[in-house]
Amino acid sequence: MITSRSNLRRGLVLLASAATVVALSACSSGAGSSAVPGSDPTASAAAGSLDSVYANAPVAEAAALIPGSTMEKIKQRGKLIVAEALDAPLLSQQDPTNPDDVEGFDADLAKMLAIYILGEPNVEIVPPASETREALLANGTVDVVFNTYTITEKRAEQVDFAGPYLESGLAVAVKSDNTDINGIDDLGGKTVIVGANTPAVTAVPEEQPTATIVSFATDPQALQALTQGRGDAYVQDFTLLASHAIDDKSIKVVGQPFTTEAYGIGLKKDDSQFKSFINDWLLKIQADGSWAKIWDATLGSAVESSAPTPPAIGSVPGS
Amino acid sequence: MDFLAASAGPIAEALGTTILLAVAAGIGSIVLGTLITAARISPVPVLRWAAFGYVQFFVNVPLLVLLVLAVFALPDAGFLLPLTPTAIIVLTLYEAAYVAEAVRSGVNTVGKGEIEASRALGFTLGQTLRVLVIPQSLRAAIQPIGNVMIALTMNTALAAAVGVVELTSAANKLNLVEAQPILIFTAAGLIYMALALAIGLTAGRLEKKLRIRR
Repeated sequence: MITSRSNLRRGLVLLASAATVVALSACSSGAGSSAVPGSDPTASAAAGSLDSVYANAPVAEAAALIPGSTMEKIKQRGKLIVAEALDAPLLSQQDPTNPDDVEGFDADLAKMLAIYILGEPNVEIVPPASETREALLANGTVDVVFNTYTITEKRAEQVDFAGPYLESGLAVAVKSDNTDINGIDDLGGKTVIVGANTPAVTAVPEEQPTATIVSFATDPQALQALTQGRGDAYVQDFTLLASHAIDDKSIKVVGQPFTTEAYGIGLKKDDSQFKSFINDWLLKIQADGSWAKIWDATLGSAVESSAPTPPAIGSVPGS
Repeated sequence: MDFLAASAGPIAEALGTTILLAVAAGIGSIVLGTLITAARISPVPVLRWAAFGYVQFFVNVPLLVLLVLAVFALPDAGFLLPLTPTAIIVLTLYEAAYVAEAVRSGVNTVGKGEIEASRALGFTLGQTLRVLVIPQSLRAAIQPIGNVMIALTMNTALAAAVGVVELTSAANKLNLVEAQPILIFTAAGLIYMALALAIGLTAGRLEKKLRIRR
């Protein structure tokens, strides 16, 4: 954090770092433990139960790895290169005390796919700036994108989508003492916080053109901004908000999800072999129940309902 | 390419914010940076130490850290300013340290004899600084200050991370819909390049015009 210079006197280094530490701790105290789902003991217990899912995960037959195909190249390489976040709670979050351990719905599915192709969960993660996912796929930096990648027709012109593998929706969170806002319909003329590069950036203006949008880079920042009163509401994925509301009593989720986001697995354009290979895999893990088990262990730990029915493959325009 | 033209309105507005950040923080940091240099070379030890500490602190703490602290930590201490003014203040404080270093390099070009002469003529300290040292230092440091201004303009992009809708943020939003990252960020990069070029050329012109001919 602090680039020390050789000529910088020791006293100043101490002073500067002390000031930074004090200010940083003041900063984090407001966010509470909500940004760290791993601190929830039930979550880690649930994650442990995934070992049996991995042990029994389906592995592709040798015949499915057609010579010259993308999956065969991945097999030769011995690892699956995945674009996925490291800071998305419940979806794909790196354990700060154990950097090799990335957990969440997206991360666990990526490991399952690696097992399907390679026989072992050998995943190399390239954290995408989500604004460059199309480029990462097009130039072959990554094999697949697991990054709550909403399937849209515009994006489908640039990349192929397998799936959808998950459906979710955007919801509205407000401070607990706010009684004026009871859902998306009450956001006209209000200041609405969104995460930069999330579907909310475009979905909120479509619903409420008069709302002022303020976007923050990360989910913990947006949450902090809501509790500090920089906006009237925070629009984000329903499951994510629900998990925050459990940990942090100063916010609440109001109303029902107002959109349906179908998340797909991003693939290089025009690789229909690889796409149908991955769609076959999705059907297999849905049929054998491992999809539901992973959902229960990750996203399901934040909400009380049981695992939903997985979305039908190819059910969305663009997939 | 059509969508770039179609979204020219929001992009122009965001470019306006970028320019506002750069100009406001630019003027602020030149003024503040010059004052810091004056303190740095003053005969008052407390001022010298304070200016030295200021420069070392801001040169050694990353701008993004300062922005995040100002936006998310200050409200907990009871100061809730809107986002754009917060970004301008942080950019001003940060770049002032670099301006101060640039001006200080200019101070070294002022001959010791001139300062001794001003004392002999009965100038006060304020007069020596105001009439003799600062004008010559600024004129000698135009190019370095221009470089700091270019860096400042590039640094405004970091404000996107704390919610200010400037050029980078607008490019992000546009890409979210259009999914054309290479095209969109190349276009944004060209705009930043044009801004840098304009600043660089202006600094070059100014330097030619104001150079001290010795």
